[in-house]
Amino acid sequence: MTTINGYSETPQGYQDGNTPVPAPAISTSKQPLTTAKTVDTQSVLKRLQSELMALMMSGDAGISAFPEEDNIFCWKGTITGSKDTVFEGTEYKLSFSFPTDYPFKPPKVKFETGCFHPNVDVYGNICLDILQDKWSSAYDVRTILLSIQSLLGEPNTSSPLNTQAAALWINQEEYRKMVEKLYKPSA
Amino acid sequence: MDSASSVCNQGILESLTDDSIQEILQSWNGFCVCTEALLSGTGDLSVGSEFVSHVHGLCKHGLDSLVRDHFLRSLEETFEKNGASKFWHHFDAYSNVTALEKNNSLIHENEVQQVLCKALEEISLEKQYQEKCLLMLVHALQSYKDYISEGRHNSDAERVHFVSKFQLIVSSVLMASLPRHFPEMLHWYFKGRLEELSTIMAGEFDNDNGSQDKDDMDLDDKSKISYRTGEMDIDECYHQRKFSENTKLVKNIGKVVRDLRGIGFTSMAEDAYASAIFWLLKAKVHNLAGDDYRSSVLESIKGWIQAVPLQFLHALLAYLGDSVSYDSPSSGLKSPLASRPSSCYPGMDTPSEGLIRWQLRLEYFAYETLQDLRIAKLFEIIVDYPDSSPAIEDLKQCLEYTGQHSKLVDSFISALQYRLLTAGASTNDILHQYVSTIKALRTIDPAGVFLEAVGEPIRDYLRGRKDTIKCIVTMLTDGTGNPNGSGNTGDSLLEELNRDEENQENAGIDDDINTDEKQAWINAERWEPDPVEADPLKGSRNRRKVDILGMIVSIIGSKDQLVNEYRVMLAEKLLNKSDYDIDSEIRTLELLKIHFGESSMQRCEIMLNDLIDSKRTNSNIKATITQPSQRGAELGGTDVSLEILDATILSSNFWPPIQDEVLNVPGPMDQLLSDYAKRFNEIKTPRKLLWKKNLGTVKLELQFEDRAVQFTVAPVHAAIIMQFQDQTSWTSKNLAAAIGVPVDALNRRINFWISKGIIAESLGADSDDHIFTLMDGMVEASKNGVNSGSCEELLAGDEEGERSVASVEDQLRKEMTVYEKFIMGMLTNFGSMALDRIHNTLKMFCVADPPYDKSLQQLQSFLSGLVSEEKLELRDGMYFLKK
Repeated sequence: MTTINGYSETPQGYQDGNTPVPAPAISTSKQPLTTAKTVDTQSVLKRLQSELMALMMSGDAGISAFPEEDNIFCWKGTITGSKDTVFEGTEYKLSFSFPTDYPFKPPKVKFETGCFHPNVDVYGNICLDILQDKWSSAYDVRTILLSIQSLLGEPNTSSPLNTQAAALWINQEEYRKMVEKLYKPSA
Repeated sequence: MDSASSVCNQGILESLTDDSIQEILQSWNGFCVCTEALLSGTGDLSVGSEFVSHVHGLCKHGLDSLVRDHFLRSLEETFEKNGASKFWHHFDAYSNVTALEKNNSLIHENEVQQVLCKALEEISLEKQYQEKCLLMLVHALQSYKDYISEGRHNSDAERVHFVSKFQLIVSSVLMASLPRHFPEMLHWYFKGRLEELSTIMAGEFDNDNGSQDKDDMDLDDKSKISYRTGEMDIDECYHQRKFSENTKLVKNIGKVVRDLRGIGFTSMAEDAYASAIFWLLKAKVHNLAGDDYRSSVLESIKGWIQAVPLQFLHALLAYLGDSVSYDSPSSGLKSPLASRPSSCYPGMDTPSEGLIRWQLRLEYFAYETLQDLRIAKLFEIIVDYPDSSPAIEDLKQCLEYTGQHSKLVDSFISALQYRLLTAGASTNDILHQYVSTIKALRTIDPAGVFLEAVGEPIRDYLRGRKDTIKCIVTMLTDGTGNPNGSGNTGDSLLEELNRDEENQENAGIDDDINTDEKQAWINAERWEPDPVEADPLKGSRNRRKVDILGMIVSIIGSKDQLVNEYRVMLAEKLLNKSDYDIDSEIRTLELLKIHFGESSMQRCEIMLNDLIDSKRTNSNIKATITQPSQRGAELGGTDVSLEILDATILSSNFWPPIQDEVLNVPGPMDQLLSDYAKRFNEIKTPRKLLWKKNLGTVKLELQFEDRAVQFTVAPVHAAIIMQFQDQTSWTSKNLAAAIGVPVDALNRRINFWISKGIIAESLGADSDDHIFTLMDGMVEASKNGVNSGSCEELLAGDEEGERSVASVEDQLRKEMTVYEKFIMGMLTNFGSMALDRIHNTLKMFCVADPPYDKSLQQLQSFLSGLVSEEKLELRDGMYFLKK
């Protein structure tokens, strides 16, 4: 019969995240971003960069955004209409303009593509609570995009910017026709 | 002839009386007959006086030009008839000499020699006789003139004029009727003679070298001195002995050459013996140089040139020097290669200008031949490097002399392409050859200009190989990396480079110290421009220093990749250590730091520090635990204590990504691990230990009834065999569940034990579900021939996918997926983008870890990959999302 004797092991352990870093040069670049209370461009930049990274890696369908070529404070966004809504098959461009004290103030978000929607006016301005008084620094570009995407399918018809659209919303079939008629995809 | 002459004289016919016409005709007829008799006569000059009177008679009537023309014409005809045709007739038998040359026998050669000598002798006699006749005419004309003007005219000018005219006639007649094979015959003749001569002389030469073997350089030194002082290096007796022995042979050759010159074949003769000498020299170089690269042959070739061909030429020129006066009238026919008639007589050793010119030509030819020979074999020579360094040194000297570096580059590149840069060659071999090439060519060309050209194809090729970086890192850091094991083990390339560097630096320092103004001026004067082949973009040679490491790194493109690969390898190595012994790694790291800078090696340094810290922490933890040592024993009934556990504690941020795999370690062991972790937490609050249970090594001993076997295995193997302690038979599904690994992974891992004959596999009820049974030790021992008793088995890097650290390729793939997402994101929002805009955008916003650092070309190939995967479209230079 077999007995196992002298069982000795040298497995590899992992120190947890708070390892004191022996090399100070590296530690500076690894400092967490969220602790900064004061507004400085550097931390805004880092925040936006990490948001971009998170957004790119998330792979959510139908939403996307990317900074413009030379300015990380201006982004272009893209939302496709969700399935089983009147906006199915359409694609809308958005523009994001981040304030220098982001994320303590919300970004300005507008539709660049004309959108026939009760909460979007002819200039593309959006009436969405989280972009105004309900803004929190916990929100980010990804949550804004998701909110706008769901807003398309579930408008708030009680305080419309586009009264015509709000009035038509009840008749989904007619609304769909209107969307198709007014939809001008970007080049 | 008669009618022609009457036509010529039409103008003055009127003024002639019948008498004088009669007289002219008579003299003319008499002259013609005499000429005929004279020329066809065999040395009979009895008609001389008659001839002279007829000439006088004709001259009286102002017909001297007619006399001259007629005589020369008949001379030409006679020579053509008697001389040339007879002469060529001798060689008719050899008209197919080229065919005979194949089965070239000695008899044939001797025959050629005899025939040639005989023919030349004959024609020379003929010529001499005719010349005598000519002189008679000259004499006759001269005497008439003397008679007329009763004063001396410039008779010499007349005579020279006639002789040279005759010379011209002779050579033009011969040239006009020259058979095509004659030059070849001459070539064969000289070759044969020279070979004969060289065997005699070479024997002498070798004997000489043998007997006075006190100094091999003797001859060379002498030749140098003689060269400078302008003296032949033949000391009296040496020369006399040789000369007397070979006088006859040389004389014979000299005679042939002289005769050939005599009939106007000066340049042909020279071509013939020159080509024979060169042929011989070439054969000698090939013979001496051969395929042995371990010794320098240049000096012995030079010695041979000095001893054989130059001796011969010396003797030949000396012999011909006697006949200067003879052939000087025909000097108009000399080739530019012709040796000047010299005042060089045997014994009076002043080398003629011609001889020196010959020496230079021969040496150049020898250099060139050797160079071509070595260049053709450069690949083999470099394979043998450094044993072949004498050959390299030879080649260097040759190239300095001939300046045909571009030949080397072209030939070597094609050899590389044909022999090295093929799918069959292992990356390691290519790299070793690359390093040898660098070292070898550094000797030839310290500026590295040609190395640049030669190295390019190798680098390009290596860039296409996947394992290049890995091999480079192994080669750099691991002295035992040499796959053949033949090289000097235990000494990595890096160590070698470091020694090199130190030497170079020391030399550099010396230079600096010695550089005063005078030295600076000397240096400035020594400045030489770059070779013409240099690429002006690559900077001046002063800034260029051949840097082996730099050239290796340039294969990869950036040192970061190399450092990254090293980090992965180091991680793998460190994770497989169980004794915290990292001295050699520390040394390697220090060397790498010298070359790549501290900052790029920082992560590696942290990894090593982790090991050092681990050792300390490990002993600390054990120290705190030893007091309640009974606790360990309580744990699972088995006597396991923390004593047997050594942990390596990593700062995971600085290590490459580590493969994570779930594994249920046996209960007591698990308890031990968490105990250890708790201790760690107590000592190092607030830090906690997270175990990577699949990594590390386990030393265990299996006790059978009759023996014990020791193993060093991976934890998963230990976990598997541990399960058999209580239950001797398991189905694969149950066993996999017990250990916590997928069934296929289990099947793969358990093979280790099966191969050791400790576990047997049999098919269960379900075809997927195998049954594993613990074997009785004895049966297996006899079956597999495993030596009984204890045997230590080391398990090193066994199956694929057993690495603890994610390889660089995996990391690269991960990086690329990040880039892909970014590219998709930007194209979704901007519609279409050009390559450089994508590149810039990635550079600006893709600041992941590691940040985007690819070149435009790399990005382009990545994008075209996406295009072929039909994720992107490329139209008019713009990339679109594929809808």
